Amino acid sequence: MADLDTTVTPNVTSVRKEHLGSVDEAGQPARIRQHAEFRNGNEAAALAARDIGFHLMGYFPITPSTEVAEALSEMQAEGEHDIAMVPGDGEHGAAGICYGAALGGGRVLNVTSSQGLLYALEQLPVQAGTRTPMVLNVATRTVSGPLDIRCDHSDLYFVLNTGWIILLARDPQAVYDLNFAAVRIGEHKDVQLPVLVAYDGFFTSHQKRRLEVFDDPDAVRRFLGTRDTPITALDPTRPVTFGPYMNDPDLINNKMQLTEAMAAARQVIPEVLAELAVLTGRTYPLVDAYRMDDADVAVVLLNSAAETAKEVADRLRADGQKVGVVSLNALRPFPGEELRALFRNVRAVLVGDRGDSYGAGNGNLGLEIRAALQQDPENRTLVLNRIYGLGGRDFYDADAEQFFTEVLEAAKRGAVETPFAYHGAYAGDPEKKPLPGLPPIATEEVSRGMAQVTRDEASGRLKVELAPLWAMTAVPCRVAPGHGGCPGCGVFPVLHQAYSVLEGDLVVLFQTGCAMVVTTGYPHTAHRITYIHNLFQNGAATLSGLVEMYLERMRRGELPGSSDITFMMVTGDGGMDIGMGPALGAANRNHRMIILEYDNQGYMNTGAQLSYATPMGHRTATSEVGEARAGKAFHHKDTPQIFAACHLPYVFTASEGYPEDFMRKIAKAQWYAKREGLVYGKVLSFCPLNWRTTDDAAEEVLQAALDSCFFPLYEVEKGHTTLTYDPEAVGRRRPVADWLGQMGKTRHLLTPDNAERLKAIEDEVERRWQRLKIMHAHEGL
Amino acid sequence: MASLPDNDRFFELRFESIGGLGAHAAGQILATAAVLRMGLNGAHFSSYGSEKKGSAIKSFIRLGPADQPIRTSAPVESPDVVVVFHRALLGHPATIAGFRANGTLIFTGPPGEIPDGLAQLPRTANVIRIDAQRIAAEEESRPNAVLLGTLAEAVPFLDAEILLDALNEAFARKRPEAVARNQAAFHRGTTEFERLPDIGRAEGDLPIIRPDPFWGYQTAPLGGVVLNAGSTAWNDLSTSRTGWLPVLDLDKCIHCGMCDMVCPDLCLVWTAEGNEPVPAAVRLTGVDYRYCKGCLRCIETCPTGAMTREAETPGLAERLGQPLFPQLDG
Repeated sequence: MADLDTTVTPNVTSVRKEHLGSVDEAGQPARIRQHAEFRNGNEAAALAARDIGFHLMGYFPITPSTEVAEALSEMQAEGEHDIAMVPGDGEHGAAGICYGAALGGGRVLNVTSSQGLLYALEQLPVQAGTRTPMVLNVATRTVSGPLDIRCDHSDLYFVLNTGWIILLARDPQAVYDLNFAAVRIGEHKDVQLPVLVAYDGFFTSHQKRRLEVFDDPDAVRRFLGTRDTPITALDPTRPVTFGPYMNDPDLINNKMQLTEAMAAARQVIPEVLAELAVLTGRTYPLVDAYRMDDADVAVVLLNSAAETAKEVADRLRADGQKVGVVSLNALRPFPGEELRALFRNVRAVLVGDRGDSYGAGNGNLGLEIRAALQQDPENRTLVLNRIYGLGGRDFYDADAEQFFTEVLEAAKRGAVETPFAYHGAYAGDPEKKPLPGLPPIATEEVSRGMAQVTRDEASGRLKVELAPLWAMTAVPCRVAPGHGGCPGCGVFPVLHQAYSVLEGDLVVLFQTGCAMVVTTGYPHTAHRITYIHNLFQNGAATLSGLVEMYLERMRRGELPGSSDITFMMVTGDGGMDIGMGPALGAANRNHRMIILEYDNQGYMNTGAQLSYATPMGHRTATSEVGEARAGKAFHHKDTPQIFAACHLPYVFTASEGYPEDFMRKIAKAQWYAKREGLVYGKVLSFCPLNWRTTDDAAEEVLQAALDSCFFPLYEVEKGHTTLTYDPEAVGRRRPVADWLGQMGKTRHLLTPDNAERLKAIEDEVERRWQRLKIMHAHEGL
Repeated sequence: MASLPDNDRFFELRFESIGGLGAHAAGQILATAAVLRMGLNGAHFSSYGSEKKGSAIKSFIRLGPADQPIRTSAPVESPDVVVVFHRALLGHPATIAGFRANGTLIFTGPPGEIPDGLAQLPRTANVIRIDAQRIAAEEESRPNAVLLGTLAEAVPFLDAEILLDALNEAFARKRPEAVARNQAAFHRGTTEFERLPDIGRAEGDLPIIRPDPFWGYQTAPLGGVVLNAGSTAWNDLSTSRTGWLPVLDLDKCIHCGMCDMVCPDLCLVWTAEGNEPVPAAVRLTGVDYRYCKGCLRCIETCPTGAMTREAETPGLAERLGQPLFPQLDG
């Protein structure tokens, strides 16, 4: 095994000349020509990815980092790079895709934020422990719950103990530059670790700044070299076992190796950044010390907030105050030695943490700086720790001023009055009384028999008699107006139609998605009944737990005997990607609940990325259309058939454009969910914004989806498949192109260039339709 | 190279808009042109919430000399220029919060109309009105193209030609058919605006507003629960409409309930006769425009043509609207 050379060399070799870019006349490396662009942090990450030429990107969209995959999809469609882009079924899946790809010896990229990072978290130590380099960009965002899409560092802090190198990028330029460094650092033979590049969500990810971009990617690729890994999973001549079963006494030694790699990284990172500085003209020391030469006090902040503090430091310096700002360019390995040296003569520092380690009495950065200084017996620096900016709370000049005031005061007094506090939390006004909600809806008001369900004794199947549509206007809607949905949104017709026939008391769980976000903007809610949100990885499991608690408490006599609750989960089609596992778990356990999916054919809540339910060829933000690509590469997921294979009492499809059919099915769903077990229903739901139609085109577009047999309406009741609308039988069958021609997201499919793709869509639609017709006709299917 | 009025501080612009009117795109076009073609340094970003098309957004532009680094990432609070893309926003104090005494306000509105909120501006403010919605409709462009034209004239250091080039370039690749229409809209924006003298009544810079949230840590129910069920009914979403609303003609209505099945905004007002579980008859009495976002799906679905599309003139919604929850008004 000697040739694998996994041992740590403390003295890292000097600059690897063969990797350098262009050289000047004296043969020394010279700056690579660059040009200015105006780009935000996400675009900077995407441009760096293009210029690095990663082999593969595995990803799953999550705000605020989604735009990286979107920008790369757009460039890919125009043939500007050839990175293989693999959309995961969730971030856990995406992390797995990346891990497998990285074992194959090429260069790998992932991008995520917040819950996505947490969902991927268990893969992170696996990858570090098995010493598999890749690059993960994180646009930092706070973690749930409650759900908040904006920036803090609470997601990043979960990564501290995973064994990944963590670089911090304070602005879009740093995002661009540090991605190149990340590749080299992680692949260095003495390191061989995955590298995370973190930048602030929105503040950096979405703010456009002037950005210097390399004119000649080849020059920077010479700097990068190729990934030179002695072992890969793609070399049959050299069989390798990755990930053995390793108990004591061995595992501690594996971790010792990892710790030594981190120690080596302390040397490698400055070397790589120095090499890169020659090419870019921009430097990134491990610790960014601003006006610290003779500083009495300092404020320590990570990423964008540090830049704001520098503006204030300049003003205070002009007033004669000896203040400085300290920020880190690397968080792992932690630059403790550098900080000890820097703070030797500093009287007081205030460490701001954009994330709390609840109950520790400090945020993580506060703890680590205190610990670093404690190792210097001579050090007398006073330390204050402040938790600030949680959940995206802006950091203004005035906030930085307040920090300097507090730290100057401590230095002056020679003592810290308040070692730890929250900055920017608001106590509230006890005089303020909330606006009342709407009056509760009495059970009788929503138990009007708008759908009469009877069981046909002969067939064992249900029959539904609907009241006329006009009569249903008397049923108070369980969701209130005033929600923030887009004009024309199909989610609300779906809910309103379902609620018009669902009888009695109802508890709903909404998975993350449009319907959740636009109905519950704090401090308001549109829901007039009990509503729960859980993240879309896990809604079905959560609701199944509530169902079983209901049944158990009923059994114990702890709830009123009259209690009769129906439970329904509402999810988008995206939630049926990432949440498929728990949904199938709930289906296999056959809990008494309904899963209702509004299918608008994409991840619309995050800006229309492809979901597995997006049909082939459709344009989304991650399946762009251009010279080289024409929309989504694979066919739409057949979720109803997956649930049908769980042998549920009832599975159905419906369209919000055909209310009577949907309402008959949702009435059956309630009957089965209260008596026999789990029901799954998929409802086609209009999304004018992202289907690129006018707001009032629903009826036509939805009808064309049915008439073209793209979206067949059917039910699988006790294992029997029945088509509930057959466009052929009523002479309305139309070509799929009639439907595709009505939406901006699909119009490109009708051009001659895409004839082959259109044929593939038609063939698949026909194949699935014929299969359903056979099932419809067959007694046993 | 453009020369800023004051090199000791940033020149800051804030666009006040509704999602879908193009404020973010306009900010991006302006800032990109300033940074890449006018020799300035700059930053551009927009306010992001989880709200969708039709809700309020702000777009921020910060410009400085080329050699001045831009380090702050906080929103623009003391704007030199505010551009209001939808005149209903002038009713919100936050729209002009922090406005500088000598700042410029550009708002879209029909000739002759001076919205009430404008009196809150500083006496020394430059106030400009342009009927961007109408011009955009006539040119089959969008209000942002018109407003960029007006901005180019109203802000002396902006080069109109460069800005127009940037606008053209932004559309040239993806929507080439829009370039000529945008160009026409832009040109009309540079000429068809009016300067309104003596509008503001306030003295000096307007104060910055950073509103406190409703709840605080001593008052909010634990765990973020919301106990006032259905409280979005207090929201007013009228500003989500972009010029059109559905109007009910009772003579043609057969009260069939079709519109109710497809209305995303749940804003149709019905009365029922009889207290039985299934009523004897129901009547559609109108629309609560407080919630109507103007998607017009009710018109699409109406079998008798009882719902029609009307241009929203000032006061029309108030005149025709029916309250869905009368208790909110009392």
